[in-house]
Amino acid sequence: MSKKLSGVLAVFEHVDTTIDAIRALKKDKRKLTVMTPVPNHEIAEEIDDTQSPVRLCTFVGGLVGGILGFALCAFTSLDWPLITNGKEILSIPPFMIITFECTILFGGLTNLVAMLFFSGLPSLDVSEGFDPRFTEDRFGIWVPCGKDEAEQVAGVLRANGAEEVRVDAA
Amino acid sequence: MSTLTYKKVNEDFLSLLRNPTKAWYILFALDLLVLAFGAACWIYQIQTGMGAAGKMRPVMWALYITDFVFWVGIGHAGTLISAVLFLFRSRFRNAIYRTAEGMTVFAVMTAGLFPLIHLGRVWFFYWLLPYPNQRGLWPNFRSPLEWDVFAVSTYLTISSVFFFVGLIPDLAVARENAVGLRKKIYTLASLGWRGTDRQWKHYNSAYIYFAALATPLVFSVHSVVSWDFAMSVNPGWHGTIFAPYFVAGAIFSGIGMVITLMVPMRKIFGLEKYLTDWHFDSMGKILLFTSLIVTYAYATEMFMAWYSGNIFEKSVFWDRAFGPVGWAYWIMVLCNCLIPLLCIKKSMRTNVWGMFIISIFVNIGMWFERFVIIVQSLSHNFDPWVWRMYQPTLVDVGVSIGSFAWFGMFFLLFIKFLPAMAIVEMKEILPAPRKNASAA
Repeated sequence: MSKKLSGVLAVFEHVDTTIDAIRALKKDKRKLTVMTPVPNHEIAEEIDDTQSPVRLCTFVGGLVGGILGFALCAFTSLDWPLITNGKEILSIPPFMIITFECTILFGGLTNLVAMLFFSGLPSLDVSEGFDPRFTEDRFGIWVPCGKDEAEQVAGVLRANGAEEVRVDAA
Repeated sequence: MSTLTYKKVNEDFLSLLRNPTKAWYILFALDLLVLAFGAACWIYQIQTGMGAAGKMRPVMWALYITDFVFWVGIGHAGTLISAVLFLFRSRFRNAIYRTAEGMTVFAVMTAGLFPLIHLGRVWFFYWLLPYPNQRGLWPNFRSPLEWDVFAVSTYLTISSVFFFVGLIPDLAVARENAVGLRKKIYTLASLGWRGTDRQWKHYNSAYIYFAALATPLVFSVHSVVSWDFAMSVNPGWHGTIFAPYFVAGAIFSGIGMVITLMVPMRKIFGLEKYLTDWHFDSMGKILLFTSLIVTYAYATEMFMAWYSGNIFEKSVFWDRAFGPVGWAYWIMVLCNCLIPLLCIKKSMRTNVWGMFIISIFVNIGMWFERFVIIVQSLSHNFDPWVWRMYQPTLVDVGVSIGSFAWFGMFFLLFIKFLPAMAIVEMKEILPAPRKNASAA
């Protein structure tokens, strides 16, 4: 009987009832995860309205890329100082093109890595707190909680319009 | 579109991923046959030497560079639709962007082959890359050809990443509806996407920045490609108008290719309710707008050749219109300047098969534009003593045709094995289901 439940999963048909349930759970100070088939601004604002750190990572990645791109041109040109095209050894305008391309390349790759890192991807086990219908047309709320709290949480979810509530064992 | 629901979008778009039909296999086999012919031509060229591709002074850049610029250009419309129109919140992009983005990646993959084929000794391609070597040699970063290496490889990397990131939520949809090996592959490729609030938050943030990074990239890549020509002092090439002229041409040709691909797709897969007159009307407007820019660029080139008083410029442009390959110039004018003017009429822009025919002309015209700029300009250089027209051979024509099969192979695989229509983005423009609809 000491088996601990991992949480309660609710399936909703409508976005407004999902929002009602989120508000009720937040009032109870519950931790929750909401799953939606499409991004939804209303739900996002209810859950967390802070900015994603991905943008800062992208900025830093782009900046580092730009510096590295320019450094590559400058140091390799100084390493073998051969005048070509009648241009200076350190010719800034043509080097700006490599600098620009490296800014975009590093910024883009950092953006990808940061997105994956902060989203917790890759994580190939999707069995916990998930239902395939969340990729189709249903909205889901996953509330991690112990067995003793499960009924109370399930009651809140049902009261707010969940069409299906499932208690998932750990 | 008002009758569509999230479930219906899933069903309709996942039906594209059903097992291929007999017609698909026949088409794919034919495509591979043409590709094999192109590959055989390339192998013959490697064994024989670059002379097999008809290269002879003064035209040392011919079909391969024409094909390179053509395919890079095709790619641009995909990024325009996926990134630029995303930033402008243009809703007509949602139904067409995935196909356009796939087209971008495959077109740039095709384009990337041509500098390698053109190198001759393809196994030395790594000399283009900056790597520490025993001789202490580095590439010349003041050369536009080196800028191109960075521009095209960055473009391929970023557009592939952007394409993949856009696919993640749709691959999760495919994962939940697939069985067997397909399920395993989609599970791996979707990286365990569940659509949680945390995942959407970082995903949406990253997507905006991908679009913001891809937007200047798309304009820079074809500018850099144009500088391969404009940085030289060759008459016919040395013009400051080249960058905007090439970028507009690239978007023009890319939109043409998107229409060429989407019209048969719409018919074969019965996507009429998703790809409506509105989409073709919008693409027709972009086609018309970019056609006018290209026409203006052709006129400016001619005007500047006359106004500059430079005898070499005057000579090369006179030869372009009335010389031995003047026919190619007039095909270009007909296909790129005159035929797209039909798009002025809304009834033409919303005539799907009419747009398909116009788009075929645009594809032909834009290929000839690159041919004219590259081959004709080189054939009529400064010194009349070296003037000589290039003659195509079976080898370079075969490789060029093979490139279409290479592109076609990836595209055929794409429409059968990856969600070719953006499922999530299509759902995003539908109203979210509400219990209390009046509160929305």
